[in-house]
Amino acid sequence: MNMKTHSPASMSFTNRLAALSRTDRLLCGLLIGFALLALTLGIAYGVAMALARSGALSFLPDTPYRILTLHGTTAFFYWLYSAQAALLIVLAVGETKNGIALRSIAWIGAILIAAGFMLSELSALVGTPLLYDANPELGLDDPAVVAGMAGGYLLLAAGLTAISVSGIATILRGARTRADGFSALGFGLFALAGFLIVSAVAAVNAFLPNLLWALGYTPFPKNATTEWHILFHNLHYLPLMATVLVWYALARGLTGTGSITGASFSKIVFASYLVFVPPTSLYHMFLEPNLPEGMRVAGSLLSLFVSVPTLTAFLIIVASLEAHARANGATGLFGWMRRLPWANPAIANMVVAMLTMLIGLVFAFVLIQEKLAPLLSDTIFVPGYFHFFAVGTISQTFLAAMMVMLPAISGRPLWRPAILSRMPWIVLAGLLVFGASGIAAGFLGVPRRVVDISYDGAAPAIWPVLMALLGAGGVLFATGLAVSVYGVARSLIPARMPMTATAEPDAGWRVVGAPTAPAWTGLVAVVVLVVAMYAATIGAFEFMQALPADVSGTTGH
Amino acid sequence: MKQETLLLIGVAIVWFVLAAVYAFAPSLGMPGYARVWGAGAVVFLILAAVLGTIKRPT
Amino acid sequence: MSDSQHVTTRRAFIGTLGFGGVALYGAWAAYGAAPLPFFHSRAFEKDNGITPHQPQAGEGPGGGHGAAGSMTPDDFLRRHEEFMARFRQPDGSVAVGSAEAPPAHATQLPVAGHDMHAMPPPHVDQGGHGTAQRDAGGTAPMHTPSHGSAPAHSQEAQPTDLYLLAYRFGFAPDDIRINSGQPYRFRMMASDITHGASLQLGRGSRIIRLRPNVVVEQTIVFHRPGPVLVYCTTYCGPAHDAMKARILVA
Ligand SMILES: [Cu+2]
Repeated sequence: MNMKTHSPASMSFTNRLAALSRTDRLLCGLLIGFALLALTLGIAYGVAMALARSGALSFLPDTPYRILTLHGTTAFFYWLYSAQAALLIVLAVGETKNGIALRSIAWIGAILIAAGFMLSELSALVGTPLLYDANPELGLDDPAVVAGMAGGYLLLAAGLTAISVSGIATILRGARTRADGFSALGFGLFALAGFLIVSAVAAVNAFLPNLLWALGYTPFPKNATTEWHILFHNLHYLPLMATVLVWYALARGLTGTGSITGASFSKIVFASYLVFVPPTSLYHMFLEPNLPEGMRVAGSLLSLFVSVPTLTAFLIIVASLEAHARANGATGLFGWMRRLPWANPAIANMVVAMLTMLIGLVFAFVLIQEKLAPLLSDTIFVPGYFHFFAVGTISQTFLAAMMVMLPAISGRPLWRPAILSRMPWIVLAGLLVFGASGIAAGFLGVPRRVVDISYDGAAPAIWPVLMALLGAGGVLFATGLAVSVYGVARSLIPARMPMTATAEPDAGWRVVGAPTAPAWTGLVAVVVLVVAMYAATIGAFEFMQALPADVSGTTGH
Repeated sequence: MKQETLLLIGVAIVWFVLAAVYAFAPSLGMPGYARVWGAGAVVFLILAAVLGTIKRPT
Repeated sequence: MSDSQHVTTRRAFIGTLGFGGVALYGAWAAYGAAPLPFFHSRAFEKDNGITPHQPQAGEGPGGGHGAAGSMTPDDFLRRHEEFMARFRQPDGSVAVGSAEAPPAHATQLPVAGHDMHAMPPPHVDQGGHGTAQRDAGGTAPMHTPSHGSAPAHSQEAQPTDLYLLAYRFGFAPDDIRINSGQPYRFRMMASDITHGASLQLGRGSRIIRLRPNVVVEQTIVFHRPGPVLVYCTTYCGPAHDAMKARILVA
């Protein structure tokens, strides 16, 4: 069995990036730069939204929904997906000595994504606000904006497919020359690229009918909502898969530590993402009046498995790091963490990303119970918890990857690592305020997509108080994230005098074979997670039962 | 590449089975699921086939 | 992987721990919400009534069961119109109380309910709706005459039908008077695009999503007198924020 932590080839990831041809470096830099531009805009729209919800800023009635549309379109679609395209290409090229394969196809992909971005953004900016799912119902009187947003998303899907094809070819190029074939990371990237292509199919399935209707070719797409749910389920799973792949790569790249359970086990875990995706797709639809009760019940049960791949990958990585640190003398339950290479801000990003993932899971598991959906779905509970994932876990992990990649590509050292290392903790603090007030407000019924929640005084008095807190938390985490983006983006500019040596793994331990030391942190994390899940779910049931009304018969026909 | 190929075939089978469930149980009323999971099964089968044809240096 | 590795770093251990989230099934089972029959506790259903309607085998969306199942959007609109005509009060509100509640009583209520800052009306005659509950059988005549076919899935009391239509940007009726402790069968539909018809019940809410031309049916018993805010929780356009109605529970 090939395991033994790492091969010398894998240690030189950053050196491989530094050795890329000028054209490859240009493409990698542009892809990352474009993703960062989308993130910057996404943060700006997000701050405006937070201020609108908190009542600190007031707009014309339509404007907050336009901002919300722009925020979702830019941050969810264009930041998360162009970032995945960039990370796929850069991580794939780290698997081979021969640079990006099918480079011209990757270029076409990049151009398609940029074109899609401009079309979506422009449509959202000038047209009727449709929210980020480009809901054709809302554009009945303004089909042009439906066409623009659907068209933009279809261009994005086409671009992602092209880049995935180039990524697959690049990984295969590396696998052909390696004696042991695929590395675990290589196979994970291969599976991710396939998943991106499938999601492009789901995007065509969701948006092509809307586009054809908007252009006047077909009748109104009646199933738009269901088709959207299918796509959305893939779209929110994919970034988590990319996130654990980045954790895997960072653990290896920054500490030289590979998986303690071996490459083939990691490959199974990465493949399990694809196995668990389709069966767990129903919980987004629990509030749909048309979903048969049997589907609700089955959907809840299957959704219990939604966290398996992410949690397992997390446990592999944490156990690998901890066992090596303990083998080198680390003591105490969490003392091993002190030995992580904290000098690199990517580590703080990654650690906070793992923490927010655990927090996010606690509340995600409240929502997968169909009987609790009528309490919390469509309330501010939902954005309250998912920003733990979207910002804390995924965005910070992607930024961590870029902190390692960009200096190697451009030769410009990372801007102020000491400042960047603190930002994830500010983001965490902001997320805790944002999440706590959002989750509490959701329990109290504050709707997710209503900006002016006064209802002429008929709404509970505590609603606006919680929204003010939510806004403050949002501004706080946005600030921390924006500083991180600035620091990363500085390394986009190629250095005149490139760094002579790139960063080599620098852990507080030496990697020698498979350590026999224990690794308790993963066990502790899962126990705490399950206890917290129980508390949150039981709390939600009790809260719901205490409401002064009995409701039965959630049928619609 | 044997493990990788088998894993992808396994994934394709899961997707195919789910697509079939949605396709042959019209009362579920969601044909989009059959289309997307079915297309996914095809994509992962193609990827498995690509892996199967790769010759490794000996 | 060597045999000398500690158990906490072995594949079997990590692989099993990865399924940790599945352990939440126990909490669901404790609340009778476990989606497998052998853990299904009837207690939960009786205690809080959050019992979803059990569909008949083979039924799909659009497949019929009971009166609501066969209710087409046109049926709904017709019955809604009849309902509005029958229960509209001189002050514009729609009062769907018990059969013996005189109209005059209903018109007194706006005074109490006008100041609707989520507080109960000053004085509610508890004995009054105790009677209403006991005489719940007497609500049967309040069903619209056209409501002929299948009897309601009967609870202790026959629920009174209440029709609520959501449209851009309002609800009809938007000022509803009902009694506490008495079951109402809410039949709700959105006439144009998707809306919400969520109920703000004081501390928390009951979120309801309405898809256009799909009749949603929920039987609700309100236990506390006071105003209930009905609000749209699915974004539906420019005046979405202003889309609200009030149910005054007497
Ligand atoms: Cu509405």
